[in-house]
Amino acid sequence: MNKLVMNFLVTEGYVDAAEKFRLESGTEPDIDLATITDRMAVKKAVQSGNVEDAIEKVNDLNPEILDTNPQLFFHLQQQRLIELIRNGKVEEALEFAQEELAPRGEENQSFLEELEKTVALLAFEDVSNCPVGELLDISQRLKTASEVNAAILTSQSHEKDPKLPSLLKMLIWAQNQLDEKAAYPRINDLSTAKLEDPAV
Amino acid sequence: MPTPASPSASASSSHRRGSSDLMVRIGSADSEIKLRALRELKNQIIGNRTKKLFFVKLGAVPAVSCALAEAQAQAQAQAQADLLVQSAAALGSFACGFDAGVRAVLDSGAFANLVALLSFPDDKVVDAGARSLRMIYQSKLAPKYDFLQEENMEFLLSLLNSENETVTGLGASIIIHSCETVVEQKALCHAGVLKKLTSLLEGSPSQKDASLESLATIIKKNPEAASKFVSESRRALRSVIDLSKDRNPRTRLLACMCLIVIRNTSPCYLQDIGIKTKLVCLLLELLDDPGQVGEEASFAFSSLLAQKEDLQKLAFEANAIEKLHNHLQKQLLQPRRYQGILLALAELCSKLESCRSRFLSLEVLNLVTDALTHEVSDVRTAACICLRSVSRSIKSLSAGRFMKEMIVIPLVRLLHDPSTSVQVAALGAVSNIVVDFTTAKSTFLQCGGLKLLVQLSKSMDPILRLNALWGLRNLMFLADNTCKEGIFLELTAPSLSSLICDPEPFVQEQALALVRNLVDGCLDSIKYVFAEDGIILDAIGRQLQGASKAEIGIQGMYVLSNIARGDEFHKEAVMHQLLLQVNNGTQAFILKFLQSNDSQLRTATIWTIINLTIPSSPGASSRVVKLRNAGIVSQIKTMVNDPCVDVKLRVRTALGAIMTIGDSST
Repeated sequence: MNKLVMNFLVTEGYVDAAEKFRLESGTEPDIDLATITDRMAVKKAVQSGNVEDAIEKVNDLNPEILDTNPQLFFHLQQQRLIELIRNGKVEEALEFAQEELAPRGEENQSFLEELEKTVALLAFEDVSNCPVGELLDISQRLKTASEVNAAILTSQSHEKDPKLPSLLKMLIWAQNQLDEKAAYPRINDLSTAKLEDPAV
Repeated sequence: MPTPASPSASASSSHRRGSSDLMVRIGSADSEIKLRALRELKNQIIGNRTKKLFFVKLGAVPAVSCALAEAQAQAQAQAQADLLVQSAAALGSFACGFDAGVRAVLDSGAFANLVALLSFPDDKVVDAGARSLRMIYQSKLAPKYDFLQEENMEFLLSLLNSENETVTGLGASIIIHSCETVVEQKALCHAGVLKKLTSLLEGSPSQKDASLESLATIIKKNPEAASKFVSESRRALRSVIDLSKDRNPRTRLLACMCLIVIRNTSPCYLQDIGIKTKLVCLLLELLDDPGQVGEEASFAFSSLLAQKEDLQKLAFEANAIEKLHNHLQKQLLQPRRYQGILLALAELCSKLESCRSRFLSLEVLNLVTDALTHEVSDVRTAACICLRSVSRSIKSLSAGRFMKEMIVIPLVRLLHDPSTSVQVAALGAVSNIVVDFTTAKSTFLQCGGLKLLVQLSKSMDPILRLNALWGLRNLMFLADNTCKEGIFLELTAPSLSSLICDPEPFVQEQALALVRNLVDGCLDSIKYVFAEDGIILDAIGRQLQGASKAEIGIQGMYVLSNIARGDEFHKEAVMHQLLLQVNNGTQAFILKFLQSNDSQLRTATIWTIINLTIPSSPGASSRVVKLRNAGIVSQIKTMVNDPCVDVKLRVRTALGAIMTIGDSST
């Protein structure tokens, strides 16, 4: 149980909580807690629109991640372009798209389509009301950030999703299956996990 | 692909200025400036092929390599460690998935310096060095590691035993890259590498993957290694099977590939139906992966099915054809995935008629035909191979399903293809399709296929000559007289006789088989071998005398046997060839063939004798006398109890005829 909790805290990046939990429960995390700090710094950088900084941090952590993951690299560069457009740096954005992103588009058809969509942002006066406006949304940053987070976790030989939520999903699925077939002590309240006898 | 030198002037000039400035800073004596410059370079090239190429051309690799060497030579202060890490990381990135970069790194002499990093006390330095070396070893250009030297093997073991995951990964990469021969496989087994790798199967995800791939490399085509791996520990094989259920698709794929290698190497393992079905289902599932795993899964699937009817049947039952068909229908298939799916379909349809008829009823044929004109040559080759497999179906050939302009025209066009492997594969498909039992051979002739086949039969490349002759041979099969004449006129007697005397035995065999089909059937066609003073027949006689393998004798003797069906003139011409050497005082090839171990050759030879001694023909008795004088009749008499039933039966027919003639002549 403790291992499950630790796994959750580590994967989700709650470094302080993980450290406290380690001291209190004596459960050893399966990776160095310092790497969580690094990972969270990358994630935070993307979330706050500091993509260049995030890329440099990832490369310091492990240069292989972005070299072997063209999709992630493209998405980070795309995010960088989005931030330039958001800040109204049209000239710089165009140069960046041409220098950095266009060659990636030539290597991969789907990147090209995404790039076209992103550059389309420049064509609209009122970006909040344009068909590709969702790229400027904060949720785009979060999407990119979680993609980086997952890639770093994978590179650290760690699963990218915590085990706890999928265990809970399995529990609910199993109970639903059982409901159709048998009467049994059921867990109705997941927070207390109390087994309740079936109504006879 | 454009180089970064081509984009608009303003962008590229400022970009270039920045780059040359960066190069100056990398060479700076101030280690702080140098460090920042190295890091900047690294961040520019990671993930960016265009920049890698740009900086390689700018000469950045030797500069970084120099920085690495300098930092190594100095005291191991913290600043130096950072320089080592940054320069190693930059070199690693140049080498990552980019052959020009690998070559530049190797040429700069950085390799030995990177190896030296592995013995540094600082873990970060070791990590950076190991990572860069692993990148290099993932390229074909990496230097071959000599496992047979004792100190090298010790070093490899020290890598595999390391606590550091990147370092064990490097050890595995070295094995995957450099272990090629049985001797090397044995050396690795002997040094206990199998055991070490087996223990890594329980390690971290990346160690599992590395271990699975290395194990497959060591076991491949080496039954001794396979049995050692399976018997050394009960857990070993079990662990690999378990990993085929791993959460990570790449691990599942590598486990499948490892199991396939074990099975293909030692068919005694993994025979139960459960594991076979599981492998089929797993790989079909992995095909759905959108990335590299999905691509590689189709190739693994092909190697699982290759030459194995039982597995092809299981795959058929698991609806493999439908699944592959679905993948083939997707838009924008990556070339490698496209190629893999076509090859898997080819393997599936290579033996079983049920697969071929499913393939045809789903109309997969149209999609494969589209692939014949794909821009990537590997895809075109795979499409031809697939077409060859499907067109093995006699039923569909009889129905004329392949002799359609839609297929024949692009296929004939591929006979001109710039790539030899496409040409060879296209010839393979053509050879099957022209067998066609209907009158549809004309479709092929009309679109210029014949001319091309004849041209290719004169190619400098023996493989092309072989396959072109194969096509012509099949085109000649059961062809009507007009068709035969057309082929013969295009091919001409002189070039046919020079093909019979080709330096390559396998070409000789095909040329003789072609003549065999030419003189088969209608007696009128025998005249062709007598064209131009009989140069073809003389060539056959010469080739039979010096026949280097039984197959040549078999085809040649059937040609003679077919000619011997003709009139007296034809029969005498055959006799002349048979007895030429007797008159020269050397042993006649016919005696050699009758004594051969190959029963097919004995059968073909006896058939010739039968056709020469048909009692109703006027010259039969004089021919029997000649055969008797040459010792051939007495040789045949020794064969009445030949172990091969076919030979035995023909021998009795021949002796019966000879007896009849002998009786009447005395």
